[in-house]
Amino acid sequence: MAEKIIIVGGGLAGLMAAIKIAESGAKVDLFSMVPCKRSHSVCAQGGINAAVNTKGEGDSTWEHFDDTIYGGDFLANQTPVRSMIEAAPKIIDLMDRMGVTFNRTPEGFIDVRRLGGAKYSRTVFAGATTGQQLIYALDDQVRRYEDEGLVSRYEEWEFISIVQDDEERCRGIVVQDLKSLEVKVFPADAVILATGGLGMIFGRSTNSTINTGFAQSSVYQQGAIYANGEFIQIHPSAIPGRDKLRLMSESIRGDGGRVWVYKDGKPWYFLEEWYPAYGNMVPRDIATRAIFKVCVDMKLGVDKENKVYLDISHLDPQDIKRKLSGVVDIYEKFVGVDPRKVPMQTFPAVHYSMGGLWVDYNQMTNISGLFAAGECEYQYHGANRLGGNSLVAAMYAGMVAGPKALEYAKGLPRSSAELSSTLFETARRKEEEKTEEIFNRQGKENPYQLHQELGEWMLENVTVVRYNDRLWATDEKILELQERFHKIGVGNSPKCGNQIVPFTRRLWGMLSLSRVITLGALHRNESRGAHYKPEYPERDDENWLKTTKAEYTPDGPRFSYEPVEMSFIKPRQRRYDVAKEVTMQNVK
Amino acid sequence: MPNTYFWRKLHSFLGLFPIGVFLFEHMFVNSLALKGEAAFNRGVAFLQGVPYLWLVELVLIFLPLLFHAFYGIYIVYLTKNNVLSYTYFRNWLFYLQRITALVTLAFVAWHVFVLRLGFSGEISYAAVSQTLSNPVVTALYVIGLFASFSHFANGTWSFFVSWGITIGERAQKTTAYICAILFVFLTVVGLKALNAFV
Amino acid sequence: MSNDKSSSIIKPTSKDVTFIIKRSNGPGFSSYWEEFQIPYYPNMNVVGALMEIQKNPVNGKGEQTTPVTWECNCLEEVCGACTMIINGKARQACSALVDKLTQPIRLAPLTKFPLVKDLVVDRRVMFDNLRKVKAWIKIDGTYDMGPGPKIPPQVQEYTYELSKCMTCGTCAESCPNVNEKSKFIGPAAIAQVDLVNSHPTGALMKEERLEALMGEGGIAECGNAQNCAKACPKGIPLTRSIARVNRQTSVYGIRSWLNR
Repeated sequence: MAEKIIIVGGGLAGLMAAIKIAESGAKVDLFSMVPCKRSHSVCAQGGINAAVNTKGEGDSTWEHFDDTIYGGDFLANQTPVRSMIEAAPKIIDLMDRMGVTFNRTPEGFIDVRRLGGAKYSRTVFAGATTGQQLIYALDDQVRRYEDEGLVSRYEEWEFISIVQDDEERCRGIVVQDLKSLEVKVFPADAVILATGGLGMIFGRSTNSTINTGFAQSSVYQQGAIYANGEFIQIHPSAIPGRDKLRLMSESIRGDGGRVWVYKDGKPWYFLEEWYPAYGNMVPRDIATRAIFKVCVDMKLGVDKENKVYLDISHLDPQDIKRKLSGVVDIYEKFVGVDPRKVPMQTFPAVHYSMGGLWVDYNQMTNISGLFAAGECEYQYHGANRLGGNSLVAAMYAGMVAGPKALEYAKGLPRSSAELSSTLFETARRKEEEKTEEIFNRQGKENPYQLHQELGEWMLENVTVVRYNDRLWATDEKILELQERFHKIGVGNSPKCGNQIVPFTRRLWGMLSLSRVITLGALHRNESRGAHYKPEYPERDDENWLKTTKAEYTPDGPRFSYEPVEMSFIKPRQRRYDVAKEVTMQNVK
Repeated sequence: MPNTYFWRKLHSFLGLFPIGVFLFEHMFVNSLALKGEAAFNRGVAFLQGVPYLWLVELVLIFLPLLFHAFYGIYIVYLTKNNVLSYTYFRNWLFYLQRITALVTLAFVAWHVFVLRLGFSGEISYAAVSQTLSNPVVTALYVIGLFASFSHFANGTWSFFVSWGITIGERAQKTTAYICAILFVFLTVVGLKALNAFV
Repeated sequence: MSNDKSSSIIKPTSKDVTFIIKRSNGPGFSSYWEEFQIPYYPNMNVVGALMEIQKNPVNGKGEQTTPVTWECNCLEEVCGACTMIINGKARQACSALVDKLTQPIRLAPLTKFPLVKDLVVDRRVMFDNLRKVKAWIKIDGTYDMGPGPKIPPQVQEYTYELSKCMTCGTCAESCPNVNEKSKFIGPAAIAQVDLVNSHPTGALMKEERLEALMGEGGIAECGNAQNCAKACPKGIPLTRSIARVNRQTSVYGIRSWLNR
């Protein structure tokens, strides 16, 4: 019997896993809410990190590894991070062979740029739309395997839940066709979730509208452990919009963009002043907090709002065209001002979740047969992610998850095809009834309104600066929203093409996961990476150098903690005003 | 069995060779009328004296014309024009190419019927002159000439793109000017010749 | 963070924006136009307006109605999902700023793809076309085999433009030769052939792709209306690409006939 693997999610991680599995001749069912080419990976702009050392700067995988652990404030388990960093240059080679249009040096080699938190140019890029180019290349490869009959795509199908057998092994998934709302079940020997981020929990973020974290939330409610939920990255530069906060890539700073505000009538380059060693190239958590301090505490924001100038008007227009046109075009299109001439106005926005499903070094969750890869798992970034590391982490995790899932499936005593069909039919019917129940709801609450309220609370209280009393209040608010959720009305749209019913289901997922984030933040009484509490401004390694693990109970998440694996680098103070080497001298 | 690609390319090719070449030849002979009735009649007589004329006409004129016309109708049918939504210049030319195709087809069919197939007797300056003595006919000829020449000129531009000869924007723009000059040239020559009969 | 109250609190002005939206419950149902009045806010885009309708599905007559179904995802014009016809032309709803549109704003679904519901169409054919023309680079495997071939920066600068295609369908919508009567594959897939054929490894399979494009509905059905390049939101040089592939097919066609 041939093994069947299901992959949920058609972004970088999911596609890479699919390629790996198909390559070894096994069959894959690939599910994606949107056509894979429209996955959120397309929004990644700056580039992908790999210590290729082609600029003679003396970069090495060790430096990259150290920057990543240090930038993540030592919260990441070091062995998988190290393996990822060592694989990174090979991943670049692979993507190069797949035909990604990386920017080139005059001699024809792959060009590199610098991103935050690094002293080296190690970010490989394709203009300012690197994620888009990478995912298209992987999508092409998957299409090839589709052509060869190894991959079946189910696009515009949404994952609802996993099917578990008596031993609680994952045996398949229940999905819904988003066009007809038909609920179906698909058996598999192993399932890989590669379902991306959860920015929609914060209402508006740099994420796409599909990034609700629903799949993670759903399996969390089925018993999967969720780790480090409280670590949410706030990107320092985005442009505000009522519908979305549009990312302005870190590569703008990497290629020479400067951040400033007016102070005493003169431009004040506060990052350069406060962090002379890294200047505008500090990591995102540092830059965001600095901007917050300037705007909120010092009230120096542009127009007294939380905005600062991001200036590229001094850069060579040819260089801008070659390296940054993608983002500059976005700014011009949505703001209507030419950044080549007038400094951009940007502000911080929710961008990435370092936390996610807990996985072991084989990318398997605590549920046997359920794997996770990409932003939906927690493994590679610790308390703060470096720019350019998400793409490499997503692809690397996919490269691990694919073969490991296949290996797991091969070792199964009984394949899913041999299980009783009642198991699957029961799971399917359960979800069908749930859908039916939502479809019939005629209460007064509007799910989109509830979502807006959730977003406003989360944005206000669970982002850059966190206070325990406000986190408490936010959890209370979420509980209130959960109450009100039961009074939702979904109107009387017919089933076909109905969007409000699936959204309502996702809303419940968002509410459940937002508690994990909020309470995780509440419990962690220290400041580390993206998690910052003015009441506890220091990192507390003695008590908190450990991974948060949240387990679902009907009464709310139950937290436990596990120590961080530190086989290679000892924790040291993290500061960016001086060179990294200075911080190393103090390590005891 | 040749496929769509072959037929499409053949259609585009025939528009220039031999149909386009024939158009030039035709205008040359017509222009002989500028040198007087006798010159024109001599030219016609020379052509009538070509050996295997029927074969030459069949292979180099009628068959290509028939194919170009009927396959062209099919191409026109396959189009759903949208010049009102997409008002770009090239889109208008694309639309006009199809309009002029139909006008040219009607004109050529009528012209061939009147002056060739349905015509009893010798073609001569007098005969043509006689036909054009009706001002309505003359007006229709003017319209027909405009349509044929613009169809030919724009088709030539399109030929260069379709065969992958002009690739860049500049090259395509330059050939567009050349084809515009071609159109003006043919129009002047055609109308002057027409005038010589009126 | 962001107490950017200016953008999170609805500040309705006296100025309402009128939207007239073409609606239908799907294939087989008749379509109708429904009018909506949306409170204006600065920098409003069409997606923002549709989101307001979602939150409060009341039409211009003040009647409760069903929310309009539409697709969107990235909201920054890189995913291609929210393509629809806005005031007569296909484009992305996210980058369609209300301030730059004449009102009332008319929204309709794309016409060159099967309708699903309201503003949603099924663009699967575009992905199928990529498969038809084998728009991928056939690598030996994902194992470590060193770097790919060197590419001159000039080549990269051109192919990068082509690789920005987000399969949104704007080109097909604008093309008079793509319609229910014709089988024309449309500009997007041709440009992708140009992209992979321009890569040294991709070129190894060049002829298979050219043959796919020389079949029914292939490149020869382009009529050079050249709307595609003008309509493309990403400024992809589609007409240049088509001409380049035209040349490749011409040379290949003649050469393979002579070698037969």
